[in-house]
Parts: sequence; C-alpha cells; structure tokens
Amino acid sequence: MRRSVFIAGLVAALVLGIGVFGTRQKTSVASAQEKMSTMEVKIDNFSFGPVTLTVPVGTTVTWTNRDDIPHTVVSTDDSKTFKSKVLDTDEKFSFTFSKAGTYPYFCSIHPKMTGKVIVQ
Amino acid sequence: MHPFDLKTVMLAKHAQHVVLIHFPIALFIIGVLFDFLAQWKKQRLLAAAAYYNLFVAAIATIPVVVTGILAWQWELEGQKLKGILLMHLVMGCLSSVLICVVWFIHMRTRRKQEEILPGYRLPIETVAVVIVALTGHLGGFLSGVNGPG
Repeated sequence: MRRSVFIAGLVAALVLGIGVFGTRQKTSVASAQEKMSTMEVKIDNFSFGPVTLTVPVGTTVTWTNRDDIPHTVVSTDDSKTFKSKVLDTDEKFSFTFSKAGTYPYFCSIHPKMTGKVIVQ
Repeated sequence: MHPFDLKTVMLAKHAQHVVLIHFPIALFIIGVLFDFLAQWKKQRLLAAAAYYNLFVAAIATIPVVVTGILAWQWELEGQKLKGILLMHLVMGCLSSVLICVVWFIHMRTRRKQEEILPGYRLPIETVAVVIVALTGHLGGFLSGVNGPG
C-alpha cells in the first residue's frame, strides 16, 4: 500500500513537472516569436533609425516619432504599400510585412528623410 | 537629383512652396520698412518704393497660398491637420490676408490721389510683420531649416 502511494505520488510529480516545463517552454517560444515579429524604427532628429531594417516575413514594424516635428512614413513604390497619417511627437504607426521584398520609404513632409525595410 | 533639372524643379510637389514663400516675406518686410522710413523722412520716393514692394508682395502671396494648399492636398492627402502644421496653415492664411490688407490701404490712398496715408496702417503693418515672421518661423521649424535637421 505504501509503495503504491509512493509510485502514484512520483507519477503525479512527474506529470506536474512535465506540465510546468512544457508551459514554460511554450511561453519562451511565444515570447521569442513575439520578439521576432515586432521591430521598431525611431524617428528622431530628421532621420529614421535604423535607416535600413532587415526583418523576416510576417514582422510588424512600428515607427515612433520621437522628434518635435511632425513626420510621415510613406512607401515610395507606386502602389503606396503603406502610408501613415501625420505623426506628431510620440505617435506611432505600424505595418505588417507579409511579403518578402525591399520596401523603401520616406517622410512626405521632409523628402530627404528616407529609410528601407528589407523583408526576407 | 540635379538641382537645375527643370523636371525635378517642376514636379517636386511641395518644394515650390518652400522656395516661393521667401518672396512675399522679403518684399513685405522691406515694403513696411520703406513705409516707416517714408513716414519718418517725409519722402515720396520712399513711399513709392514701399507701395511697389507691397504690391508685388501681395501678388506673391497667391502662388504661395496655392502651393501650400496643394502640398497639403497632395503630400498629406488633405488629412485633418493638427499641432504645428495647423498653426502654420492658419497663420499663413492670416499673413496673406494682412499683406493684402496693407497693400489695399496703400492702393486706395493712391487711387484717391490723397497725399497722406492713414495713420492706422502703421500698427496694422507692425502686427502683420510679427505674424509673417512667426509664420515663417513655424515654416522653417517644419521644414527643418530652423531645427536640428
């Protein structure tokens, strides 16, 4: 009787342990995926940083305006793949890149401000 | 991009506004300066110089307002403006109206062939110069000329 209780306890502990380990692993995979799927571009001092960003397909890129001046984020291709509204200080714009390719963009208020997203 | 390429100059959708804006600002401020000098020195020649500067300044406001509004409609697709952009738009329109009002006061006096310009024009001109300067400052801030860019 004692022995069977001990074995049952051991099995329960094992199952519980596997459960906790599995959940932790899932959480770490999820957070890794989350890290990979969101990238940030800072707009400051009349420039995009980083100027060129390389990301995997499915990544959401968020531009944040840290400048005192309003800016926009507009892709330069003819179909205007993405185009933000005017972003005031601390405002954000996000776009998810679902296709591989190179996406050059600029600020339509200050055309000399340019950047590029390379989706692989 | 070649700076003297005509196509580049003509098709740069909002560059014209940034270039053209300097004409009414300079002409108006110089016109007002001539008017104050004419008032002080009692010289007709200075008054005439003031009139012609104000006249060309008033005409120069037309393409500036048109290109500014086109830049808003083309580059920003006419979206609702706020903050510095809205302030610049409102003050730009106010500046244009004030420049035209000052020129109109001068023009009316010349048409009536009156010798003396009305004294109330001087405070109007002073306020107009301040508004024009503030609008230009905001424009410079927006374009990056007055900022770190």
